[in-house]
Amino acid sequence: MKQIEEFLTGRVWLRNFTPFTKEQIDKAVSDGSVSVSPGITDGRQCARCLEKSTKKIVPFFCAACNAICYYCRHCIKMGRISSCTELITWALPSTISPQSHSFHWNGSLTPLQQRASQEVQASLLQKNDHLVYAVCGAGKTELLFPPIFDALKKGKRVCLAAPRTDVVLELTPRLRNVFPNTTIHSLYGNSPEESGFASLVIATTHQLYRFEDAFDVMIVDEADAFPYSYDPALKRAVIKAKKKDAPIVYVSATPSADLLKQVSHTSRIFQRFHGHPLPVPEFRSLWRYDKDFAKGKIPAKLAAWVDEKIQKDEPFLVFFPTIELIEQAIVLFQKKHPGIQAVHSKDEDRKEKVMKLRERKIPGVLTSTILERGITIPNVQVAVVGADQPIFDAAALIQIAGRAGRSIDYPDGSVIFFHNGIVRQMDKAKKLIVSYNRGGAL
Amino acid sequence: MNCYLCDRDMPLQVSWRSIFFNELESVICHRCRSSFEPIAGGCPICSASGDGLCQNCCQWETTEYAGLIDSGKCLYRYNPPMKDFLHQYKFLKDAVLSEVFAAMLKEVLDGQKSIVVPIPMNENKLKERTFSQVDRLLDTASVPYLHLLGKNEVGLGGKSKSERMALEDVFWWNGKPAPEKVLLFDDLYTTGSTMRLAAKVLKENGVKEIKVLALIRA
Ligand SMILES: [Zn+2]
Ligand SMILES: [Zn+2]
Ligand SMILES: [Zn+2]
Ligand SMILES: [Zn+2]
Repeated sequence: MKQIEEFLTGRVWLRNFTPFTKEQIDKAVSDGSVSVSPGITDGRQCARCLEKSTKKIVPFFCAACNAICYYCRHCIKMGRISSCTELITWALPSTISPQSHSFHWNGSLTPLQQRASQEVQASLLQKNDHLVYAVCGAGKTELLFPPIFDALKKGKRVCLAAPRTDVVLELTPRLRNVFPNTTIHSLYGNSPEESGFASLVIATTHQLYRFEDAFDVMIVDEADAFPYSYDPALKRAVIKAKKKDAPIVYVSATPSADLLKQVSHTSRIFQRFHGHPLPVPEFRSLWRYDKDFAKGKIPAKLAAWVDEKIQKDEPFLVFFPTIELIEQAIVLFQKKHPGIQAVHSKDEDRKEKVMKLRERKIPGVLTSTILERGITIPNVQVAVVGADQPIFDAAALIQIAGRAGRSIDYPDGSVIFFHNGIVRQMDKAKKLIVSYNRGGAL
Repeated sequence: MNCYLCDRDMPLQVSWRSIFFNELESVICHRCRSSFEPIAGGCPICSASGDGLCQNCCQWETTEYAGLIDSGKCLYRYNPPMKDFLHQYKFLKDAVLSEVFAAMLKEVLDGQKSIVVPIPMNENKLKERTFSQVDRLLDTASVPYLHLLGKNEVGLGGKSKSERMALEDVFWWNGKPAPEKVLLFDDLYTTGSTMRLAAKVLKENGVKEIKVLALIRA
């Protein structure tokens, strides 16, 4: 019973897919310690992801019920929820005894990080939402360590959510090192099963669909990143997963105007941890580049830029607006150098390719916006092809520019926005970067 | 609307064909559509690549299942996008995905002289999956069909070919009168054993000619 309590506290789970036997669950339901609710509510809303659009909650003839049932397409990858599926959760007040936590970290915070760290902790104490507005490379994860430790010590359950699996995978080993005695669960699509009750959960925002009323502290990392920033269901998931009065800490290098307005307590760090300014993007025209690629030719200015990087033996990333363009371009770039690789969001070898670039085994990578954040490659040189395309909004462009100059050994780096006409978002990105370098003054 | 498979927004496609021929509207985007590989030619029974009867089908001709199937066709290759599709349709139970190949199946099966007989699903399995993926493909394509077979509860997966061949009683005749010509339909053709086991029962019960059709050739 203790295992069921640990597993189901704060979680909503498919009744038929738990790690427990049917008899164990049936018994817990009949004695009232586990409660049951329908997967799709009377108002045709998914009880797990809270989706209710008629495009996603769809009818079908269900052979189990011999009637029309509805199912949710939105969260189907986590196991389909239909009108006839049951969700279960732990119904009783928690009897789980508090864990003891320790904090093993011998790094140090810059004065700016230190101040932000204390401000976050103060907001958490007062249950206020808080925004950490920190440029790429400011060291935002480290400044969260002390407030997380403080919350854990007080017996609170903490969630660190990030929109992308890559970020969760990057954060997990770091936090496990820093909090070695804490049960930490790392949750993402197809993550290995974890056991026990986790005081600290590191999860993709998608995984939060499976929690309800669970967390005393909710931290949303990269709060501006796709899909979180575009998917209202993920925002609802964050609210659903935390306890009603639990504060949210948003962390972002490029917060939206809405977020800035909505959260009144903000810490700003407009300097990288190594103290050097952010590389400022340079605009270069690349007229009708799509026509060149379609004709099987790399536009001359781009070819010259890549040749120079290969010759100087500097690793490079070239960002493209569409997968179609990457597919056309990679064939041409590999004629230049067979080691050049392409990655996109569905690429299963993405991690290995980035690793090879970091280890200098390959000269460069062509990528979609998937690599706009979360990766650090010493001395990387960055180009954007079609920086005028709508997929590259100011936030994406700032993130992309933020890949360069992150390491203390190579604090500079070239960032080129190749374009077919300068657009507002490009200007906005450049102005903001320049303003950060002036300490935030526009 | 958004593409059923990649969720990208699709511009509304209204063509004169869709108006005049009442063509089924595509529920997936052009990019996803073109990621599937239609099969042209190949083995006259299972569409495996190469000229003439494939090795696998030749092998069947040396067994007691020889000559059961007169001809056949599989429509698509089992490439990675098709694997993803079938996984989402069958195992994630995304029932509406039957719409993806509805127009294609309608085109192939329209004006069919044989009676279409779907490979059935075991009753318990059906309750568990909540829909029969084979029937649903036909339903969505508005293709009429007739069930002539029932299926016993035996999983074919994981068994070697010789073990599969030993599974005599997978299918049983449901007693309905036998039409002369039958087209057996399944979602996935792998070793051909399902089709042959079903064909055997049909021929033993009076069916004269059997064609087979599968959406996918593994
Ligand atoms: Zn849902
Ligand atoms: Zn049902
Ligand atoms: Zn698509
Ligand atoms: Zn064949």
